[in-house]
Amino acid sequence: MRLRGGPAALSLRDLSKSYGSTLAVDRLDLEVPSGSFFGFVGPNGAGKTTTLSMATGLLRPDSGTAHVLGHDVWSGTSAAKRLVGILPDGVRLFDRLTGLQLICYMGLLRGMDREVVVGRAHELLDALGLAEAGGTLVVDYSAGMTKKISLACALIHAPGLLVLDEPFESVDPISALAIRQILEGYAAGGGTVILSSHVMGLVQRLCDRVAIVASGRVCAVGTLDEVRAGMTLEERFVDLVGGQTDVREVLTWLHTSSH
Amino acid sequence: MVAHIVALKWLLLRNGLRRSTPQLVGLILAGVYGLGVLGRGLAWLIALRSATADEARIAITLAGSAVTLGWALIPVIAYGMDDTLDPARFATLPIPRRRLVPGLLVSSLVGVPAVVTTILAFATVTTWSRSVPAMVVAPVAAAVGVLTCVALGRVTSAAFVAMFRHRTGRQVLSLLVVLVAAAIWLAGASIMERLSAPGFPAEAADVLGWTPLGLAWSAPADVAGGSIMTGLLRLVLAVAVLLAALLGWDILLRGALENPRATSGGRAATRDPGLGPFGWLPATPTGAVAARALTSWRWDPRYVTSGALMLVAPLGLLLPAVTGGGRIWTLAMAPAAGFMLGWSTHNDIAYDGTAFWGHLATGVSGRADRIGRLAPTGMLASALLPAYATLGCAATGLWSLWPALFGAGLGLLFTGFGVASVMSAMQLHPVPGPGENPFGAPPGSSALTVVMQSLAGATVFVLNLPLLGFGIGALAGNVWMGWLCLGVAVVFGSAALVLGTWWGARIYERHAPELLGDLSRIR
Repeated sequence: MRLRGGPAALSLRDLSKSYGSTLAVDRLDLEVPSGSFFGFVGPNGAGKTTTLSMATGLLRPDSGTAHVLGHDVWSGTSAAKRLVGILPDGVRLFDRLTGLQLICYMGLLRGMDREVVVGRAHELLDALGLAEAGGTLVVDYSAGMTKKISLACALIHAPGLLVLDEPFESVDPISALAIRQILEGYAAGGGTVILSSHVMGLVQRLCDRVAIVASGRVCAVGTLDEVRAGMTLEERFVDLVGGQTDVREVLTWLHTSSH
Repeated sequence: MVAHIVALKWLLLRNGLRRSTPQLVGLILAGVYGLGVLGRGLAWLIALRSATADEARIAITLAGSAVTLGWALIPVIAYGMDDTLDPARFATLPIPRRRLVPGLLVSSLVGVPAVVTTILAFATVTTWSRSVPAMVVAPVAAAVGVLTCVALGRVTSAAFVAMFRHRTGRQVLSLLVVLVAAAIWLAGASIMERLSAPGFPAEAADVLGWTPLGLAWSAPADVAGGSIMTGLLRLVLAVAVLLAALLGWDILLRGALENPRATSGGRAATRDPGLGPFGWLPATPTGAVAARALTSWRWDPRYVTSGALMLVAPLGLLLPAVTGGGRIWTLAMAPAAGFMLGWSTHNDIAYDGTAFWGHLATGVSGRADRIGRLAPTGMLASALLPAYATLGCAATGLWSLWPALFGAGLGLLFTGFGVASVMSAMQLHPVPGPGENPFGAPPGSSALTVVMQSLAGATVFVLNLPLLGFGIGALAGNVWMGWLCLGVAVVFGSAALVLGTWWGARIYERHAPELLGDLSRIR
């Protein structure tokens, strides 16, 4: 399983979480080898965000364990948190800070040196095409700029593992290219990336390993070629998750010609 | 349409409560409190049945006017108005405004304060059951009065939303609101003073009975007293007031419906190329939390309003001295400032919203989180406490009391810091999100807010009783007690601060993921 020696970048064992009577994540096991570019895909409501939140210390699991590079996320120490950079989905940022301030805030919270933080923050802003916007309040950013500034916040401490929840959602093609280049450079330098996405073509192009989750369980995992089994990832995904019927012959009243 | 909108409000309320236990608890508390008010109100109104017609007129006109004024002002200055049915959400639906307004108005009656007000208003029929015409007019007047209350509340909050549409103007406006609130508070104090003067209540009722606040409430009194024509005139005028309020609301809604996105912040981007406080505060996690808190206090209207209020409110104690009354009250300025600033951050994490994930993800220590959040109020207090203590001494000429005044302020401040550090890690109560109307409130949040605030305030007060005892001893002439007060404040206050932040940090480290969970459920 492991590409190089040492512990897995992320190891989830028997992870479960329920909300009331709904089981969001159901005894999920997942091993993400160090140095991999890992795609985490699944239909809406499959438990992707819940899983990634439990893996990064944002949401306490009902049961099971999560280890980052050998460190227990839920042991009460911050060893695991020092090694992870997170881009969560559907949460706010401290958006009354400017872009530059926000990146610096995340670095300083981690106890980093101010000179290092400020230097890196400017480099990140340049690389992400946000140099001009560094002095603007984050609340005034567009959706794509907000994703990019969140990525910068996740990278500031040079983490060993990057966990990105929907990093390409509402990002325009130019910004997506910038994000992709940064991620590819990061992976080439030995970092591990886990990203969740709904865009199968993108995952197929970027990732070398993939897991497909549905109903809170992993239903396929392995290298990209193992998982897609000769099909495109999208076909394989629809095949595995299934359930979609042909909708072309229903909703005929929507056809404008019927007016 | 009206039934539709009321049903929608009910569904939103029910489903919202299903998601959030704190809100449910809050609503139950509000319900219990409302029942208490209702019980006392009903007893009072029934007892008024046997009072003379004139007594009943004075009492009901004054009480009705006060309630109406409360409906108009409380959403803006205190607990916010339930904004479950934000009119902007109807912007995409093809509903004409004149059909929307009655629906929104009636749906505003779903809620504890509105239900209590409605029942009490109709209970005045008992008070006026003195003649047949009075019993006919009273329920009509009650309906008009209640609808006016609700409509006025909507008008004032809609007016504020309209004015708050652009962030650049928001801060100035928040300050203005606070100043107006302070002015009303101060005016209220002098009215209370005069209320005890003989003849004043009758005079006030006479005047209020012809203002928009009291028209509806005194109409049945005229009829009961025999002046049927005067009563009908008042009733007609009261209906005109209601229609005017609805018209005003309709005009304000036009802005919200035609430009719904504007509420989320104008495009007048704020630029600041530098690091701000991140550049000059210590480059540690604690310093970073402090810098972030300071930046929020600078830019976020939710903080600006409360900061300004804490700055201005103690100055109200100067008023009696200015109007020639008791100068003694100026001595309370420093302790009052210390008291208010101390525990004001007892719900600080709630203001972060889900942005709090950043603290979790970086693994920042509970200690750094707790102490950093105290920085803005700490800085404010380091200027205000000596200034207000000095002002108090200057106004009274009692310079020997300075150590006692400063000591009491310091003790209250530090104990408050300790209490706030523990409470904000333990339990949060819902607040408007960043960029939302700072005068809004999710349903059920007001009661929980009142409980949490009372708990925090009472704890701080009780912990400081010995200290305040020494302060009062100093006031009685024992100068040495003033110094003792200062000494005890330094020792005991510091101990409370250290212990509070230590305990708060422990709770924070165990409990932070659950706090984030609560924050994501509130919205």
